[in-house]
Amino acid sequence: MSDEIIQIETPFQFNEENKREFDELIGRYPVKEAAMLPTLHLAQRQAGYISPAVMKYVAELLELSVMKVKDVVTFYPMFFEEPVGKYVIRVCHTLPCALRDCKVVLEHLKAKLGTDIASETNLAKGTTDDGKFTLMKVECLASCDVAPVIMVNDDLYKNLTPEMVDELLEQLPN
Amino acid sequence: MVQERRILYEHLDVPNINTFDVYRQHEGYTRFEKAIAEYQPEEIAQMVWDAGLKGRGGAGFSTGEKWSFVPRDIEPRYLCCNADESEPGTFSNRYVLEKNPHLLIEGILICCYAMGIETTYVYIRGEFTLGKKMLDAAIKEAYEQGYLGENVRDTGLNINIYSHPGAGAYICGEETGLIESLEGKRGQPRNKPPFPAVQGVFMKPTVVQNVETLCNLPFIVGNGVEWYTQMGPTYADTRKDPPEPDRNTGTKLYCISGDVNEPGVYELDLGLTCTELIEVAGGLRGEEVKAVIPGGSSAPILTHYELDTRLDFTSLTLAKSMLGSGGIIVMNETRNIVDCLLNIMKFYAHESCGQCTPCRWGTPWVRDIVQRIADGEGRQTTITRPKFGVTESGRWGDTGETEEIYEDLDLLENVANNIANVDTMTWNTICVFGIAVSWPAVSYMRKFRPEFEAAIREGKLVTLPIAEATVPPEENYAYQQRFIPKEFSELQETTED
Amino acid sequence: MAFIKLNDLEIEVEDGTNIVEAAREHGIEVPHYCYHPGLSRPANCRMCLIDVYLRSSEMPERQLATGCTTTVRSAPPDKKLDGKYDIIVRTDSPRVIKAREDILEFLLVHHPLDCPVCDQAGECDLQDFSYRHGHDKSRYIEVKNIPPKKDLGPDVLLYSTRCIVCTRCIRFCDEVSGSGELGLINRGSHDEIDIPRSHEGIPIQLLDNKLAGNVVDICPVGALISKDFLFKSRPWFMEKANSVCSGCSVGCNVTVEYKADGLYRIKPRFHEDINQHWMCDDGRLGYHYVNSDDRLQLPQKRVDGELVTTQWADALAFITENLSEVDAADIVVIGSAQGTNEDNYVLQQFAHDVLKTTQLGLFGQLHGEEHKFPQFTIEADKNPNTAGARTVLGYANGNVVLEGNELWEKVAGAKIVYLVSGVPERSLEDAEREALEKVDFLIVQDVLPSAATELADVVLPGTTFAEKDGTFTNSTGWVQRIRKSIDPPGEAQVDWEITQQLAKRLGGEIDYHFAGEIAIAIAENVPGYGDATHQNIGDTGIKLD
Repeated sequence: MSDEIIQIETPFQFNEENKREFDELIGRYPVKEAAMLPTLHLAQRQAGYISPAVMKYVAELLELSVMKVKDVVTFYPMFFEEPVGKYVIRVCHTLPCALRDCKVVLEHLKAKLGTDIASETNLAKGTTDDGKFTLMKVECLASCDVAPVIMVNDDLYKNLTPEMVDELLEQLPN
Repeated sequence: MVQERRILYEHLDVPNINTFDVYRQHEGYTRFEKAIAEYQPEEIAQMVWDAGLKGRGGAGFSTGEKWSFVPRDIEPRYLCCNADESEPGTFSNRYVLEKNPHLLIEGILICCYAMGIETTYVYIRGEFTLGKKMLDAAIKEAYEQGYLGENVRDTGLNINIYSHPGAGAYICGEETGLIESLEGKRGQPRNKPPFPAVQGVFMKPTVVQNVETLCNLPFIVGNGVEWYTQMGPTYADTRKDPPEPDRNTGTKLYCISGDVNEPGVYELDLGLTCTELIEVAGGLRGEEVKAVIPGGSSAPILTHYELDTRLDFTSLTLAKSMLGSGGIIVMNETRNIVDCLLNIMKFYAHESCGQCTPCRWGTPWVRDIVQRIADGEGRQTTITRPKFGVTESGRWGDTGETEEIYEDLDLLENVANNIANVDTMTWNTICVFGIAVSWPAVSYMRKFRPEFEAAIREGKLVTLPIAEATVPPEENYAYQQRFIPKEFSELQETTED
Repeated sequence: MAFIKLNDLEIEVEDGTNIVEAAREHGIEVPHYCYHPGLSRPANCRMCLIDVYLRSSEMPERQLATGCTTTVRSAPPDKKLDGKYDIIVRTDSPRVIKAREDILEFLLVHHPLDCPVCDQAGECDLQDFSYRHGHDKSRYIEVKNIPPKKDLGPDVLLYSTRCIVCTRCIRFCDEVSGSGELGLINRGSHDEIDIPRSHEGIPIQLLDNKLAGNVVDICPVGALISKDFLFKSRPWFMEKANSVCSGCSVGCNVTVEYKADGLYRIKPRFHEDINQHWMCDDGRLGYHYVNSDDRLQLPQKRVDGELVTTQWADALAFITENLSEVDAADIVVIGSAQGTNEDNYVLQQFAHDVLKTTQLGLFGQLHGEEHKFPQFTIEADKNPNTAGARTVLGYANGNVVLEGNELWEKVAGAKIVYLVSGVPERSLEDAEREALEKVDFLIVQDVLPSAATELADVVLPGTTFAEKDGTFTNSTGWVQRIRKSIDPPGEAQVDWEITQQLAKRLGGEIDYHFAGEIAIAIAENVPGYGDATHQNIGDTGIKLD
């Protein structure tokens, strides 16, 4: 056994705004653990991804073991355990989008960005070398009427064609 | 042509309806005010029962009945609004959240008043960032206007609503999965019983309702039970003696996508047929309808023979399918059913929470078999093997008979049925995710068997003409009839709609 | 009480009993993996599916129910089935048998079937239930998941490929040890048990709580493996003896597993009032000194300042020589809290009747820390029999049992000290060393060379808990049996036998033939121990009033 335990060199902490938001959040639930998902969202927004330092911090805030946080982080695909691009592109590929040629959009994005599709355990695979984009496939985004759809960070883009994708990528500031 | 009847969606496109003022101008919160002014909480609950409102989330369980299970002597009680809309083909809640969040808040207020609930969590799927933003803003306004918080409108009621983001797990749409997730754990569904109505979030009695269900409440209260029950067909449930009315009241937000010209959400009375709905949605994109998924991707598929099936809770149950979340996906003649099934199975294999054995390892297995068939590597051997079943001694085993099978298709059906048996409607899993997996797997394979056989035979995906690809209902019913419990087949429509 | 029909049996069970337990009590096996009587019940393995009749005795409920979560309650009279049963349950219906086969097939699809090299083989629930309830061949031809083997902590390895994700280990760490180091990572078929790690796989926290070894015991398959036992022995080649842990005064019930060449492992044994299903790692892994090559095998005596090995007859003669003509007031006899009640009883008899001294003492392991867990406590007193030794040594008229400073003051002024130690790896504190150095003639009976034996004039090789029969009395007053599993090394002898030989040489009339005989004497003489014969104690022990 390597008794080596990771040493967290730069501890994570909420900035003041997020701390305030967290304090408000925690009051909503009769048990602290219930604030897990919103807290992790908050932390990810600040840190970019859920690093061991973040996990430890959240565990302390919610009075849980670190594993309880890790357990949740790995269950939900929206939490990242490694750094992702500035823009996370989620391409829906479930049936209604598939019926509307999401494959074309996906292949176009792959070619355009020159990257593979990220898997949940290997996000680096889908991240461009310049760290601007991370390309991932996701399941149904509940916008089947405007398929094919993609999400870029928090924004939904509808009825996409390869041309619209080109336009969209150009619009995004560096 | 069938006309839309917009009730929930009536004001959806009014500019700025998401703000309190505009919502107020459109009868906003008047139904809640009417509820507290004119009715006792128990009366509201009774109205909901009398209105025959069925849960719009998927299971179609009677809302009034669900409320009656909640013990009113245990405090606190909670309301969880299920806005984790993730069933492929479903997108009606998104529009409510993004465009008319005050309607949902009013629905929640009425439910809270009826059930004596002070705290509501709206579990909103993580990807709905805009929806959450709009809802949060509306909640803030409602607090400011005194419709939420301490002593709501000087009635002595305390009602709080909090939005709670999910994080991309389909299973959190299952009510107990949602509860676990809300408690900050993995969204792994719980064993039932106890049901959430008795022991739900934080182990307290909890009402879990879909967004659409809650949005129906203002209209039931505002316009009355009689008005509400006029909409939708009523059948006679002959299982009861004397037969009781089996009602499908109200409108439904049908989400239609896939091969139609104008996909979208259409609010219609329950009980129109598939053909009518496709017509409403601008007609088919393509030559001919090959298949229709009537209730989100978990629902068993309907073939072109079954297009006159009415899209309501009862009729679809009789057709061995379900209305589910009302997500209708239409496929035209160019679609390959094996390919479609593969897409859906990938979805389920990805979304299985992994808690219980059959689903954790059965679902990816089913996906792998379909993948193999789609890749042209399905095993072609038709083998004769001993038939297993209940033997004379009453135990499971070799019956002494033999049967001929297409090896991989038999395996597919068998593995899916071992997760959850679609014929007997029994599942070995903790939650109904199991049946949501085996329902499509088995129904696609049985109803479009020639296409599966062709893929195996030819070593590649072959899209057959519809007539060849589809198993006629006569043959189809052979397997269905074997297992339909008698009482279901006796259900008949009686009254007008 | 509830009256239930289980298959064709009509049985009465207590309210709240689940079907798995009710069936087990009546010799019917309901196979299960995730259910463990000491943990919560998530019913995730789905192995214990059964047919339940709740509303009619003709038709079972449509869904199979899990036996572990189906608890029995007496129903109101109008709800009874056939007018008498509170519930009817079938564990042998065709569809139950089929469901088991199906679940087992799923459990094995990703399993590597590496039984030939698996430590668990022979005591594996997956093997046993497959043997009794499973298919004879696999239909799975796809690629198997191969999750990595993982090092979880000081003593625990995880062979992830064998894991069936029953989550017993996670629930143990949450509920019993309360430390929560274990959890699941990923989702669906990629579920793996793990400790928290960074994305690169470096641990953030190790599975190093003092109860961690229990997760190996409760793992129903060969996924969690003790490094201490890894590849040591096939389970079926080991003999087993029911005994009690000698690591602290809790007195956990254990099974000692051994072969002729020594002890191989110690596992907890269920005792409702003492340790439930658990034991701590200090006790579990604390047996190694028994197998040590350094064990004292022959008596030693000091010749010209050096300890030299000698024969028993010589050593005993040497002691008798020195003991005769000494005033009883100059002798101190010290018993051991690591020794059995029987050892100490013979010792006090020797002191009181033969040496005529009433100056007795109690020696034992130095106190450690107390560790409290939500459902378990490790005592600070690291001796298994402090309470028993104290009572047994001191019951007779006039006997004084000294401990701590009082004892060492007395020792410092004594000429002859007979110290029965048997305490492994016991260092001496300054006061103790100084006192013992002042003694003219020091007899030390011990199991390993120690600080005390270095000062001794005679060293007698005694025995450990694994090499003798007897009883321990724990801190809460439970008198429990320990059982001999292996022979003492070399010419080492059971402690009370050594004392008895000494007594005989000095003309005493102590003549026991086996430990049970001494226990009868204790039962007759020592107040409170009236029922504590070996026969009465059995495997569950008896509690003193």
